[in-house]
Amino acid sequence: MGIKSFSRARAIHVMLVYTGGCNGCDIEIVNSILSPRFDAEQYKVFLTWNPREADVLVVTGPVTHLNRKPLEAIYEAIPNPKLVVAAGSCALMGGVYKNCYGDIPSEEIEGPVENIIPVAAKVPGCAVRPQDVLAGVVSLLPTLLDAD
Amino acid sequence: MDEKVPRSNIIETEIPMGTVHPAALEPYRVRFFVEDEIVQEAEITIGVNHRGIERIMEGLPVEKANALTEKICGICSNSHIWNSCRTAEMGLGIEIPERAKYIRVLMGELERLHSHFLYLAHGCEVLSHETFSMRIFYMREIVMELLAMVGGNRVQYGCSVLGGVRPRCDLDEAKLLRIKNDMDALEEGLTGFVERFLADSILMSRITGIGVLPQKQAIELAVTGPTLRATGVARDLRTTMFEYDDFDFNVITQPDGDVKSNLIMRALESFESIKLIRQAIANIPEGKVINRDWEMFDTDITESYIEVPRGTLYHSYALESGRVRHCIIRTPSMANIGAMQYACIGDQITDAQLCIVQCDPCFTCTDRAIEIVRR
Repeated sequence: MGIKSFSRARAIHVMLVYTGGCNGCDIEIVNSILSPRFDAEQYKVFLTWNPREADVLVVTGPVTHLNRKPLEAIYEAIPNPKLVVAAGSCALMGGVYKNCYGDIPSEEIEGPVENIIPVAAKVPGCAVRPQDVLAGVVSLLPTLLDAD
Repeated sequence: MDEKVPRSNIIETEIPMGTVHPAALEPYRVRFFVEDEIVQEAEITIGVNHRGIERIMEGLPVEKANALTEKICGICSNSHIWNSCRTAEMGLGIEIPERAKYIRVLMGELERLHSHFLYLAHGCEVLSHETFSMRIFYMREIVMELLAMVGGNRVQYGCSVLGGVRPRCDLDEAKLLRIKNDMDALEEGLTGFVERFLADSILMSRITGIGVLPQKQAIELAVTGPTLRATGVARDLRTTMFEYDDFDFNVITQPDGDVKSNLIMRALESFESIKLIRQAIANIPEGKVINRDWEMFDTDITESYIEVPRGTLYHSYALESGRVRHCIIRTPSMANIGAMQYACIGDQITDAQLCIVQCDPCFTCTDRAIEIVRR
């Protein structure tokens, strides 16, 4: 383990972007990082709100029309190496909002997240469980640590 | 302070926040117009996460539409499905079994607890008091696990269905005992928190007199829920709902309408919720939880109002061959946006986020309004 990945392993910063879901996943994820019950900080995973500091971007929600540009801007602002976790069924496939008219997709929804930015890990569930989100973020750590 | 008049002349400095901002979880945009670090005018713009739930609901079978209303909001999801079922039940004249009524009230109050705890934790976090925030988040997990036990999921439990509650949400002796024990633990934890919170003189001086919303202005802006009651108006829709007929509880009010009043308001209301849950598990009647003996027919537009954690929730739709038509949903945060804008005026820019958070914003459920402009 080089000195870079050694120090990186001690400060994984997760940023959460919320792109128009129902707030359920959002609060569950903030809980998993913040709340003392699930306490991600014991694995040296911290929550940040600054994209320039972040390593992992967690995206929830089906990406509404007006949220597309902010999401792209945030993804651009994160320094390399960066990895994206799509959490919740809205982020994975648009949820109940995407294909609401059968085969005709909704005009409001730009998602799933894969269409807009590359996704490295997918966490299913409606709403996601904090344990699953933790597992998703932790599964990315080897990729993140081996990157240059 | 009685009157805070928004200034009409041009203010040069504007501080925009959003749409994605660290202090606010949800995407919304707010513009503060400041002079000497004092906010003179605030403007909140929503519409970023408009998904068009009402349009999706239009033409769906009523059972499916009920399940969809839960996806409006992840915090008060049970309230939405409850009120949506209630609308159809009022229109079709469906009798609900007594036991189902009690379980609905129990779920509603558990949800109020988790919403108020989230409010308190978020408020303490914006106040930069991490310790209090963490303690409340830890207590909130007790409620979340109870909700998961009854409904099967931590968020979006889908408890209410047409004619009662899902058979899975029926409560047996073991579950009732666990709720009873957890309520004792919760009351102890909350009492400890409130005592320490009120005894903290630094925190009290930080929140007293900040973000004042006068009573007259609150009534003028049609503010609902705990935000209204924190200005001294004893208006609670639970006193008029038939589900709460058998229950005994107090409507809590606070005098000032500032951040302190709002925070204490939620804490005291949580005690009332614990009281209500104890009454529900003590007096829960025997019998079935769902009434499947009803017929579908066309109805006119039916309206239903209930009290949810944030205020008054309104659902209305008509039924046509078992399908939902002309659906309108009005969430409490819609009314409270005016209060948020008003509360910021006259305070330091550093307190502005606190003034918005004190009104318990939930923009996710609010983003459904369409403004029709005649040209």
